[in-house]
Amino acid sequence: MTTGSEREDKGSAQSGVTRRAFLKGAGLSAAAAAGIAAGTGVLDSALAATPPLQVVGPGRRPITLNVNGSERRLEVEPSATLLDVVRGQLDLIGAKRVCDRGSCGACTMLVDGRPINSCTYLAIDAEGKRVTTVEGLAAPGAPLTRLQQAFIECDALQCGFCTPGMVMACTALLARNPSPARPEIAAAIAGNLCRCGTYQNIFEAVELAARRGAGGGR
Amino acid sequence: MAANTSEIKIRVGFGDSFRDLTVRIAEGDVPPYEPGTRFDVIGAAAPRLDAEAKVTGSARFTYDQNLPGLLHGKILRCPHPNANVKSVDLTAARAMPGVKAAISFPEVFRTEAVRFAWEGIAAVAAESEAQAEAALRAIAVEYEVLPFCVTREDAMKDGAPQVGRRNQQNVRRIYPEIPFTRDGTIDEKKEAARQVEMREAEAKVDRILKESDTVVQGTFYTQVQTHSPLETHGVVCTWENESLVCYCSTQATFAVRHELTHHQGPVRATNARVLCEYVGGGFGAKFGAGREGVAGALLAKAAGRPVKVMLDRREEHTTTGNRPDSHQVLAMAVAKTGEIRALRARSWGTAGTSPAGAGAHNDVMYELGEIDKIEYGVRTNANDARPLRAPGFPQGVFALEAMMDIAAASIGMDPIEFRKKNDAHPVRRAEYDIACERIGWAAKRGAPAVPRGGADGGRGVGPLRRGVGCASSLWFASGGGGAKVLVRVHKNGTVEVRNGAQDIGTGTRTILGMVVAEELGIRLADVATFIGDTNDPAGPGSGGSTTAPTLTPAARVAAHRAKRQLLDAVARAEGWDAGNLDLRGGKVVGRDGAALAREIDFRAACGLIAEDQIEVLGERPVLDKDHPNYGGLADTNAGVQCAEVEVDVETGLVRVLKVVAVADAGKLINPKLAESQVRGGVIQGVSYALYERRIMDRIEGRMVNADFEFYKILGAVDCPEIEVVLLDVFMGHNNTHVMGLGEPPVVATAAAVANAVAHAIGVRIHSLPITPRKVLAALAGEEVRG
Ligand code: FES
Ligand code: FES
Repeated sequence: MTTGSEREDKGSAQSGVTRRAFLKGAGLSAAAAAGIAAGTGVLDSALAATPPLQVVGPGRRPITLNVNGSERRLEVEPSATLLDVVRGQLDLIGAKRVCDRGSCGACTMLVDGRPINSCTYLAIDAEGKRVTTVEGLAAPGAPLTRLQQAFIECDALQCGFCTPGMVMACTALLARNPSPARPEIAAAIAGNLCRCGTYQNIFEAVELAARRGAGGGR
Repeated sequence: MAANTSEIKIRVGFGDSFRDLTVRIAEGDVPPYEPGTRFDVIGAAAPRLDAEAKVTGSARFTYDQNLPGLLHGKILRCPHPNANVKSVDLTAARAMPGVKAAISFPEVFRTEAVRFAWEGIAAVAAESEAQAEAALRAIAVEYEVLPFCVTREDAMKDGAPQVGRRNQQNVRRIYPEIPFTRDGTIDEKKEAARQVEMREAEAKVDRILKESDTVVQGTFYTQVQTHSPLETHGVVCTWENESLVCYCSTQATFAVRHELTHHQGPVRATNARVLCEYVGGGFGAKFGAGREGVAGALLAKAAGRPVKVMLDRREEHTTTGNRPDSHQVLAMAVAKTGEIRALRARSWGTAGTSPAGAGAHNDVMYELGEIDKIEYGVRTNANDARPLRAPGFPQGVFALEAMMDIAAASIGMDPIEFRKKNDAHPVRRAEYDIACERIGWAAKRGAPAVPRGGADGGRGVGPLRRGVGCASSLWFASGGGGAKVLVRVHKNGTVEVRNGAQDIGTGTRTILGMVVAEELGIRLADVATFIGDTNDPAGPGSGGSTTAPTLTPAARVAAHRAKRQLLDAVARAEGWDAGNLDLRGGKVVGRDGAALAREIDFRAACGLIAEDQIEVLGERPVLDKDHPNYGGLADTNAGVQCAEVEVDVETGLVRVLKVVAVADAGKLINPKLAESQVRGGVIQGVSYALYERRIMDRIEGRMVNADFEFYKILGAVDCPEIEVVLLDVFMGHNNTHVMGLGEPPVVATAAAVANAVAHAIGVRIHSLPITPRKVLAALAGEEVRG
């Protein structure tokens, strides 16, 4: 029911293997095992590019994370999620843990500009990538983004617990599609649940931000 | 309070129909707003005061409190749905790495009985969550495992395992209530009298059913729904000597404080300060500290460090309450002319281990003639009910509104005409017409069901069938007493509003500020509002849609008195008559709003205050304990909703295309926030109608879908277009005319959707949620329940 195509890529990208690539790869080997011709010599390039398995841990290990533009040196358990590290060690509390298993989007952050569910993304996998949390959109005291401003004007929030995740998912949407149609907005937040029922206000907010975006500016 | 009351004449009404009404108001109250008043702040679609904090992620919820030295608390859960705990051994857990404290629930809560799976057994606090979880696994528990039943059907069978202890039966009548004596036994004399009344009602309705032109009957089922707020229940607790500071995700800060300080409670703090600046949803489940709150407080005390206990999603679904299910059997007698003559209702609902709260309000809204209604609560080994947004209403109204449609059809009357014929509510009568017009009722209802490609222009395309349905709602909330609002006007011109209650997403913070700003003639931006701290004046729990109608009149009284004091100061300084002064547009003006000879702006006026500040504590005016409000236009507020759906008769999938929600909440303080409330209620209603359902595993006795993958709540892709029409009603119950709007919008939605589905496919589905399987079965002439 709520499977947006956007989500396919979200919450994956671990250890260089995207979920989509993994599925493709798995399908390929199953076909090969069954002795079915697998097509014209395509070895999935993502699969071929997978680095050899590497054992990390046990015990904490030092990593450097680029979060909201600044380099942070941290010590993390290899099993720690990006969400827990960012919230617990950096006290960036915008992203929330609501389901802890990739089904609600409240923990959405951007990694290299793409939305991911940070509850199912290992902190160590974010090394060398740009992590953006909701706190990174507008510095304290600086003007809000057009989208944030539109959220406020359209009352696209009630209790506000889903809001940071919604803002991040919609920020990513506008970055790749500056004037999305309503079904595209719905698809972009298909993996973000809001119990208070702000969806329609969010649609309106994204549309408002998109309209203003046509004029340029922040 | 308020032994002294006085009689005044007020005007009540809406649209272009107003009338005089003589009411008694309490001493110290301010006369209610007059229709026609030109408001500067009230009625404006101001953004929420906390919107910026929420879109930037800086709003710090309970779950976000990262106190220095914070420990993480986790709760061990019982896997058995019915058991007695023989022993809990914490020794090994206490010795685990990082563990700082451990407590046993049978000891703390003085009960060994576990009556639903996932009930708490023990809790530990450790340096990290992983360490706490590891320690839970080291706790040794001995259970006496008992037989159980987790569904209504099973619990009602002969020889079913007993859910309660001692003489508690699985099935208990909850309406008409069984009269109990003080020692908890049935008052046999009163009960005998009640039995007589019940038999008389039954006989009367029997007679009417026999003599009536038309009798329609129906049996309906609804599911268990969980609240599913995104922020789970939980606390962060820290002690300073005997004083407890508790951040709590709650919708009732003062009730939580009461619980934590109660001399017979498990915590017994000498002092407690409960803080809740933001709460990530509650919907009725968050009225107390809960066992998790008690655990947080006790673990923090034992460890001598702050402790955070936040439930995970499974715990939230399985231990923090729900909307009970229902099985309702209804019969209705109708005259050919359309009057309803009688209603018979029998219902059973499972609330969990206690039968309380399992009722379904299926005898409301309309003039139903004679009523014969009996309700039973059924105990099961599952989590208890807690109020969920309009408790008892969505399920009862689903059945009642289905009956309304069935009855209308049986006498060949349009469903809305039929409702109007039996509805006396002055506001709802107007709302039917608005709803009809907005959904395009006449054209859509009249069109034949066949594909619209044909010459007759029907309601379908290929396998898709469209239909429209209607249902209405009511609610009672005009607020009550016991609340106070503090207004401080500082000499430097800043204004502060304080109340210790919480804002669960409804906009309480914002509308309090608006009422004060209006009274003081300044902008909302000039008022700082502080809420969610029990060190501030008392406020209500956010339940029953009572927060706004309880707090706004208190805020208005406080602001009004502060204004009079400020104007006294101005009058003294200028040698004017304070009685001739008012505040408006950021200035001192004449009573009629006219500019004065010498212009004094608000800030300059504040400079004339003799002390540092004016401080006024405004109490919520009440007539007396039993009558918190004056008589008004109507006892209840009203709503009408129409839904349009599209059903795929090949897959059984239902899509809600549009919902028109016409609602009133008395006077609208902020129409934007009110609209959001209604949209949210409709979305929860559609979600309840189509997707949500707690599924119990009858073998293991546990909830199968305690997550968000298989417990479906409506997402963006399934969100219908929602058109909200709000009526601004001068209701005349209190000085702001405000009524609550939390619950009303969720009452009618599922019923309207179900009626629309029946219209679309020509057969009725008698149970919620309306899943594809049920649609296909209904089309095939079968009925799938539950
Ligand atoms: S918390 Fe990450 S998706 Fe729900
Ligand atoms: S605003 Fe409350 S969950 Fe979305």
